[in-house]
Amino acid sequence: MSVERYWAPASLPEALEHLRGGDVTILAGGTDLMPQSHAGRVTLQRGLLNIRRVPELHRIERDGAGVRIGTLCTVSELLHDPLVCAHFGILAEAGDHFASDQLRNAATIGGNVCNASPAGDMLIPLLVLDAEAELASKPNGSVATRRMPLAEFFVGPGKTKRAPDELLCAVWLPLPPAGFAGRFFKFGVRPALDIAAIAIGIGGVRVDNALTHARVAFGAVAPVPLRARRTEAALEGSVLDPAAIERIAGIARDEVRPIDDVRASAWYRRELVFNMTKRMLDDVAQA
Amino acid sequence: MRVIEKGTLIGKRIAKLDAPEKASGQTRYVHDLDLPGQLYGGILRSTRLHARIKRIDVSRARALPGVHAVLTAADVPYQRPLGVGKDQLPLKGDKVRSLRDEIAAVAADTADIAAAALRLIEVEYEDLPPLTDPAEALKPGAPVIHDEKLPPPAAHESLKAGEPGDADAHRHNVAMTFDYAQGDVVIGEAESDVIVDDWFRLHYVTHCCLGVSGVIAEFGPSGNLTLYSNTQVPFLHKREFAEILDMDPGRIRIIQPPIGGGFGSKLDIYPFEPICVFLAKATRRPVKLVFSREEEFVASPTRQPVLLRLRSGAKQDGTLTFRVCETLHDNGAYTSWGATTPFVMMQTISSLYRVPHCRYHTTAVYTNNPYAGSFRGYGNLQATFAVEQHIDKLAEALGLDPLELRLANAQDPGEITPQGMHFKTCGLKECLRTAAAASHWGDKHRAAIAAQKAPGRYKRGVGMASMLHVGGGAKIYPSDGCGTILKIDDFAHVTLITGASEIGQGSETVLAQLVCEELGIPLDTVTVVNNDTDITPWDVGVHASRTTFIGGNSAIGAARKARAKILAAAAKVTGLPEAELEMRAGHIVAAGSGEAIMNLAKLLRSLHFSDRAELVMTTHYYEPPSKHQNKEYKGDVSAAYAWATQVVEVEVDTDTGLVKLVKVTGAHDVGRVLNRLGIEGQIEGGIVMGQGYAITEELIVENGVVRNPGFRDYKLVTAPEIPEMDIHFIETMDGEGPQGAKGVGEAPAICVAAATANAICNATGVRIYELPFTPEKVYRALHHPAAPVGAA
Amino acid sequence: MSLKREIGFLLNGIRTRATVPVDMSALAMLRDVIGLTGTKYACGEGECGACTIIVDGASICSCLMFAVDCEDRELTTIEGLARDPLGERLQRAFVGCGAVQCGFCTPGMVVQAKHWLEAHPQTSRAEIQRGIEGNLCRCTGYVKIVDAIEAAAAQQA
Repeated sequence: MSVERYWAPASLPEALEHLRGGDVTILAGGTDLMPQSHAGRVTLQRGLLNIRRVPELHRIERDGAGVRIGTLCTVSELLHDPLVCAHFGILAEAGDHFASDQLRNAATIGGNVCNASPAGDMLIPLLVLDAEAELASKPNGSVATRRMPLAEFFVGPGKTKRAPDELLCAVWLPLPPAGFAGRFFKFGVRPALDIAAIAIGIGGVRVDNALTHARVAFGAVAPVPLRARRTEAALEGSVLDPAAIERIAGIARDEVRPIDDVRASAWYRRELVFNMTKRMLDDVAQA
Repeated sequence: MRVIEKGTLIGKRIAKLDAPEKASGQTRYVHDLDLPGQLYGGILRSTRLHARIKRIDVSRARALPGVHAVLTAADVPYQRPLGVGKDQLPLKGDKVRSLRDEIAAVAADTADIAAAALRLIEVEYEDLPPLTDPAEALKPGAPVIHDEKLPPPAAHESLKAGEPGDADAHRHNVAMTFDYAQGDVVIGEAESDVIVDDWFRLHYVTHCCLGVSGVIAEFGPSGNLTLYSNTQVPFLHKREFAEILDMDPGRIRIIQPPIGGGFGSKLDIYPFEPICVFLAKATRRPVKLVFSREEEFVASPTRQPVLLRLRSGAKQDGTLTFRVCETLHDNGAYTSWGATTPFVMMQTISSLYRVPHCRYHTTAVYTNNPYAGSFRGYGNLQATFAVEQHIDKLAEALGLDPLELRLANAQDPGEITPQGMHFKTCGLKECLRTAAAASHWGDKHRAAIAAQKAPGRYKRGVGMASMLHVGGGAKIYPSDGCGTILKIDDFAHVTLITGASEIGQGSETVLAQLVCEELGIPLDTVTVVNNDTDITPWDVGVHASRTTFIGGNSAIGAARKARAKILAAAAKVTGLPEAELEMRAGHIVAAGSGEAIMNLAKLLRSLHFSDRAELVMTTHYYEPPSKHQNKEYKGDVSAAYAWATQVVEVEVDTDTGLVKLVKVTGAHDVGRVLNRLGIEGQIEGGIVMGQGYAITEELIVENGVVRNPGFRDYKLVTAPEIPEMDIHFIETMDGEGPQGAKGVGEAPAICVAAATANAICNATGVRIYELPFTPEKVYRALHHPAAPVGAA
Repeated sequence: MSLKREIGFLLNGIRTRATVPVDMSALAMLRDVIGLTGTKYACGEGECGACTIIVDGASICSCLMFAVDCEDRELTTIEGLARDPLGERLQRAFVGCGAVQCGFCTPGMVVQAKHWLEAHPQTSRAEIQRGIEGNLCRCTGYVKIVDAIEAAAAQQA
C-alpha cells in the first residue's frame, strides 16, 4: 500500500479530524516509524498524519496537581526541562541512559508510550511516577479527552488501549509527595545504545529506614513494562534490613515474567532482577 | 648560501593524505558513484536452508515496468564456479545450501523497483534435511551438502545420497583437511611433567565494515568490462573474473573507489559481483548493486568459527614440550578463506613460544551455515586464545610465574623454528618485559589472586598474552611482490603509482612518506595513484599485514633508482662527485655542510629541456626473500615476523557478569615506527576490534539463521566502552623491512581475547573456554559452573 | 508509487526546494534527490550515526527522519560545515589528530561533534565519549576521534 494523502496540520482539532477519517498513520518523532516501515514490519496507511506542527503537543507545563508533558517532547527536551529535573529526577535519569544523543534529540515521549515496548526505557520511570496517558479524539465534532493510568494503558508488547481515532496528546504526571525520590537502573551490554536486558525503577518516600509510597517497575521482563505490585506491597513500609531486602528482591524475582530471546535468557533476567533490586535497596538503606 | 639540515620523516606523526577529503565529506565511495544510464541491481536469496529448487517463476517480475532484466541460473549457462573452493556458482540453479544463496537477480531503473521485482519472483523448493551442527556432518547418514560431488549411482540407481548403500556419502561433507607435525609428540608427552587438555569454542563474528558491500559493473562498447569494486586484491580479482566469465583478463579493468573498511572481508570473490556483471551484460547498461545492512549481515563472510581441542605439556622447570591441536571448522555451505585459516593457526600452535614437538589437524566440514572468510588475524585469534590460556594453566600447575614461563620459552633473534620460520629479528622477550613492567602486571596479578575469595561486588585482574604473526608478507601465492612506477615532473612533483591498495589503513601515506624520505622532498609534493588496474603494476593484495613491508620496499626501490639518476645528473651539472651530494627539502645540497647547491625542480627541468632530454621515470618490483612452504607446510613463508604482548586489566561485576576492559597495555615489535600517528591508529583500532571479539560481538546463528542481522543486537564497541590504552613500540630494526619496519595491521587484534580470558581467571578464579565473554556467560561461569565445552 | 510532495527548507544556509515521496527518508532525499553524498547510509535504523545531520540546531539520524518533515526547517550537513568556524576547526583537528582511517564514519562524527561542542562547550573527555556513543567506528578505536574533538574544543575556549 502506498501513501495517498499527507497532512501536517497546525491545530489539534484539525489533526483529530483527519484521524477520525481512518486509515491513518501518525508521524510523531518517526524514529520507530521510518525503520519499521522500510523493513516492512509496519505498513504505512493511506493517510500520513504529521502532528509535529501542532504547538500544544510540545509543551511542558504545570497543570493542577501535576505536570503535563506534551506528546512531542523529545527525550533531550525532558532531560533539560526545569520542571522535569525538579520533580521527576528518575525520568531525567532514564533519559540520560536513552540510546544516543541523536536519538534523544528526535524520540518523543508520546512515541515511546504508544510503542509500548516492554523494554522501553522511559516507560519505567513513568510507571514509578504514576503517570497517566491523556488521549484526545473528535468523535462527534468536538474534541473529547480521557485519561488513564499508564499501567492500564499498556496491554501487550506494542499494544495499548489507544483507539484508532485517538491521539495521545500528553502524559500527565502527578507531583510526587514531598520527599519522594526515584532511582533508575538499566542493564545492557552497552551503556546507552542498547535495548535493555533489564531496567528497574524504584521510588518512594524514605521514612526512618523504610520506604513509603513505594513504587517499583521493571522493563524487559514481561510482555509490558511491569508495575510490580507484589514487590511494592512487600516493600511498602518494611524496615530495610538485609533480611528484608533479600526477601523483597526474591519477591521481585518471582513476580517478573521474562522470556528467552536473542539478548538474554529468562533465567539470567531473573538473576539480574534479584541482584540489582537488592543493590538498589541496599543503596536506599544506606543513604 | 642557504644551509639545509638533515631531517627525517621517519617516526613522525603524519596526517593521512586523504584525510582532508574524507573529513569534508567529499570522498566518493562506491555507494556515492553513479554512472550515466545506470540501473540498480538486487538479488533474491533463498528462504530455505537446504532444498532443491523445483521451479522459479520470474514472469511477474519481468513484466514490472522499469525492470530491464531478471536472471536465474538458466539465463547464465556460461557462469563458472567461484571462490577458494570453486564450489559455488554465482546463481544457484539446482539446490540451495544456505539462507544467503543467490537464486535470481534483477536490474531495474530504481532500487525500489528492483526490490519490488524481487518480491514478485516465485520459487518452489523441495526441502532437504538440514545440517547445521558441524559435529553431525561426518556421521553416517548425515545430509550431504555438495551431493554433486558424489559419484553417479551405478548399480544403485534408485538410491539417494545418505541412504543405506551409500554409506560413505557423508565423507563428501569434508571441504578441506590440514595436517602438520614437527618433532614427535609421543616423545614430547613422555617428557612432560604436567599436561593440560581442554576444548575451546570460538564463535561467529563479522567484519561490520561501515561501508556496506557494493559494486558497479559496466561493459564498454568493445566488450571490455570495468568494475568499480571494493576488492582488496584487484589483480587476483581480475584473473578470477576472467575465469568466471570466460573472458580475456586483459579486457577487464578494476577501479577501486575508496573503501569503507576491509579487514579482510574483500579478499575473496563473492557471488554478488559476478551477478552484477551478468546484469550489466544482459542489459548493456551499467549496473550498480549495493547491499542493505541486513543483507550485509546475512550474506557476508564471517570470521571462522572453530571448535578446538588443545593438549599442551611442560617440564617441571617450565620448558614447553609439546602441543597437540585438533580443530573442527564449520565450513558453511561454500568454501571461502575461512577454511584456510589453519595455515596461520598451525604457525601459532607450532611456534608461539618455543615448542619442539607439535601436531596439528583441522577438518573443515560443509554445513548449511553461513561461510567464513578472511578476517583480520585470520585464525590467529582463535589459536592464540587456546595457546595462551594453556600457558597460564601450565604455569599454575607447575607453581611457576606465568611471565617467567613465557620468557623461558620465548625465542631469540636468529632462531629458526621447526616449521622453518627464520626469526631474523625477534622482539618477543622485550615485548613481554615491557608490557609486564608498564602495566605493573606482577603486583596486580598477585594482588588479584589474594583477593579472589574476598567479598566484594567488583573483582579486578590482569591477564597477559602474546602473539606471533607474519610481518613481512606471506608467500602463499606464486608471487608475494608489489610493483611501483615513479615519475617526477618538471616541478619536482612526484607521482607514485603503486599496486598496493589503500583500505583505510594509511598505506598510501606511508608509501609517500618512504619515497619522500629517499628523495628529500616535502610530503605534499607526492600524489599516490593506487586504484586502477589499467595503470598500476601488479600487487598480490592487502592481506597478511604486508603492505607497508612489501609496498614500502617496492616504493623505496623505485625512489632509490630515481635518486641515483638525479644525483648522477647533479654530479654532471655541478662537477662534484655523487658521494658528496644529497637531496634535502627539494634541493641538491652538499652532503657535509648542507649548503644548498641547486633547486631540484631546476635540475629536473635542465635534464628535460636539453639535447639529451630525459625525464626521471623509474620502476621497481619487489619480491620478498621468503619461501613457499613445502607440502608439509614448512618453509620461511615471510620475510619477517612480528610479535606483541598485551596485558589486559579487567573489572568483573559479579552481580551481573559484566566484564569491563579497564586498560590494555601493549608492547608491539614493529621493527621501526614509520608514521607514528598511523601506527597508533592501527593499534588502537585493532585493540577495540579484539575487545569486541572478546566481550561484546556475537553473530548469533541458530539452525542456519542469523538471528541478529543489525547493529541493535550485534554489538560493536562504542566510544564510552573503550579501555585506557598504553602502547609501547619495540623497534627491532628489521634488516629487510623498509627503514626497518615490519607489518602490524593484524597484530593488535590478535591477543586481546586471550589476555582477557587470563585476566578474568586472575580476577575471579574462573576460567572460561568459549567466547564471547557476555555478561550472561560470565555470570553463569561464576555462579553455576557450566559443563565442559564440546563432547569428547 | 507513493504520493509526492514539494517542500522548501534551508539547507546549509541556502533556500532549497525538493520534490519527495512522502515515505522517503531525509537521508535518501539528501543523497538521491539533492545529490549530497557526504551523509552516509550504514544501517538505516539509527544505530550507527553515519547519517547524522543537524536539524533546527539538534543532531539527528537522517535515516530516521521523514523527508517531508524537513519542510520549513534548517538543515546542516557535513557539506555545510566547511563554512562554519567550529566545523572547520573540527575537520582540521580530525585530520591532524589521525582520527580518519577509512573515513566512512567521519562525516557523521564531525557533525555530531559540532553539535555536541555547541551544546557542551566545557566538555570532558568522558563526556565527549558519551557524546559520540551513537556513532560507530570500526577502524580507529575512537581514541583519536576523541583527541580531535578535545583539541577542537580547546581551541574554541
